[in-house]
Amino acid sequence: MDWIRHHPGAAIFTALIGLLIFLWGMAIPLSYAPEPIGPAAELFAEGTRVTVGLTVVSGLAGLVLGVLVGLGNLSPIKPIRWFCAFYVWVLRGTPLLLQILFVWLVLPTLLPAQWSLSDFTLAAIALSLNIGAYNSECVRAGILAVPHGQIEAAKALGFSPFQTFWDIVLPQSMRIALPALANNLASLVKDSSLAYAISVVELTMVGYRIQAESYQPIPVFLTVGAIYLILTTAFTTMTNAIEQMLDVGRKR
Amino acid sequence: MNEHPIIEAIDVHKRYGAFHALKGVTARFYPGEVTAILGPSGSGKSTFLRMLNRLEKHDAGQIFIDGIELNDDPKHLAAIRREVGMVFQNFNLFTHLTVLRNVALAPMRIRKVARKAAETRAMALLERVGLADHAHKYPIQLSGGQQQRVAIARALAMDPKVLLFDEPTSALDPEMVNEVLTVMRELAHTGITMLVVTHEMGFAREVADRVLFFDQGSILEDTTPDRFFNDPAHERARAFLAQVKHGF
Repeated sequence: MDWIRHHPGAAIFTALIGLLIFLWGMAIPLSYAPEPIGPAAELFAEGTRVTVGLTVVSGLAGLVLGVLVGLGNLSPIKPIRWFCAFYVWVLRGTPLLLQILFVWLVLPTLLPAQWSLSDFTLAAIALSLNIGAYNSECVRAGILAVPHGQIEAAKALGFSPFQTFWDIVLPQSMRIALPALANNLASLVKDSSLAYAISVVELTMVGYRIQAESYQPIPVFLTVGAIYLILTTAFTTMTNAIEQMLDVGRKR
Repeated sequence: MNEHPIIEAIDVHKRYGAFHALKGVTARFYPGEVTAILGPSGSGKSTFLRMLNRLEKHDAGQIFIDGIELNDDPKHLAAIRREVGMVFQNFNLFTHLTVLRNVALAPMRIRKVARKAAETRAMALLERVGLADHAHKYPIQLSGGQQQRVAIARALAMDPKVLLFDEPTSALDPEMVNEVLTVMRELAHTGITMLVVTHEMGFAREVADRVLFFDQGSILEDTTPDRFFNDPAHERARAFLAQVKHGF
C-alpha cells in the first residue's frame, strides 16, 4: 500500500498491464492444471474477459450516469429532481437480478426489431442503470460535502455558476466521492455474475457449466473464486492509486 | 468630496426571518478610501460587507458599485464582482489547486488571460506578498498567515477597484496576524479602496482613513479613527472600546 501511495502513476500502469496480461495469458499456465481445470483453460479465460468487459463498460456508463443523476438530484428544477429521485428509489429498491431479467425481456420489445441487442449489451445496460443509481448518491454526497466557503470564494472572484461547478465543485466532490465510487466498482465486478441468468457466458457461468459436466465443484469454484480475487485486486489497486493522485491538496 | 462614490448604499435592509440584521444603512465610500468597520458581533457589519458583492441579498434599499446597480441582473453582478475582490476570514483558498493556480485561475477564466501571462502575473503578486517560494505548494501545506496572504494575492489578481476584508485576521494564531496586517498596510497606500471588517483596533487606528461603528444593524458612528478612539460620540461605542481595550 505504501508503494501505491508514493508511486500512484506506476501502480495504475502496473495494475493495468498486469490485468491485460492476465486476461490474455491466463489460459497458458491454466492449461497445465489437472482435470477438470486444464482442458477448460480457454473457457475460463474467455469467461474472465466477458466479466471484465461487463465491469468496464457498465462501470464507465454508470459513472457518467451517476454524475448526471447526482447533479439532477440537486437541480433547482423540481421535475428533474423528482425524476432522478424516482430512478434512484426504483433501482435501489428492487433486486439487481430482477432488473437484469426485466431489461432482457422487456427492453427488446420496446425497441425496433432490427436493433436486436445482444445479451451482453442488455446485461451491460441493466448493470449500468443499477450502479448509476448507487453512484449518483455518492456523487450527490460528494457535492454536498464541498465546503460552502469554496463556492463563495469562486462567486466573489466572478466565476459563473457553471465555472464554479466545473473548476471548483466537481473536482473537489469527485475526490470526496471516489472511495465510495471505488467501492461500487468492486461490487460491480462481482455483481456482473448475475448476468449468467440471461445466458451471458461470463466467469461464474463458465464455472457452473464446467462443474456440471465434471461433477467436481470444489476445484472449479476455487478457481473461479481465485480469478475474481485477482480481478478485484487489480481494480482496487487502480482506484486506490487514483485516490492518491486526486488527494494531493489534502496531503501534508 | 467632489468625486463620485465608488460604493453607494442607500437605506439598505436585511432580515433573517424575524431578525432585522440591517436597519436602513446608508453609506458612501470614495476611491482610495480605507475604511475600518467595527462593532460588536451580530451588529450587522459582516452582513453589510457581504452584501456589497451579493454573497447576501439586500431585502430593500439600493446599492451602486461604480455606478452599476447591484441586483439580480447577471450582467450587473458579473461586472460588479470583477471590480470587487474579497478576502475571507477562513481564507477559502481552493484546496485542490496549487498556490500559483489559485492566484492565476480567475484571470484565466473571467478575464480570458492566457495561462502563461496569468501565471507570470500570479508569480509577481506572490512575490509581493512574500510567497513566491511557495507557488507550487498546496494551500494545506501553508500556515494560516501564509494562506491569507495568498488569498489577498488571489483577490488582487483580478485588479479590483475595491477590496473587501471580512475579519481577515480573526482565524489566525496571534503570531501570524502581523504578517497579514503588514501586507494590508502596504495595500492601503496603493490607492485601492478598502473596506475592512476587523477587530484589530491597532490597524483601524493607524491605517484607516475612516471608521464605521455598527451597532444593532445601524451605523452608529461614521467618523475619523482619531475621533472614534479618543472621543466617541455614543455611549455604545465607548462601552465597545472599553471592552476591546482589555485586549491591548
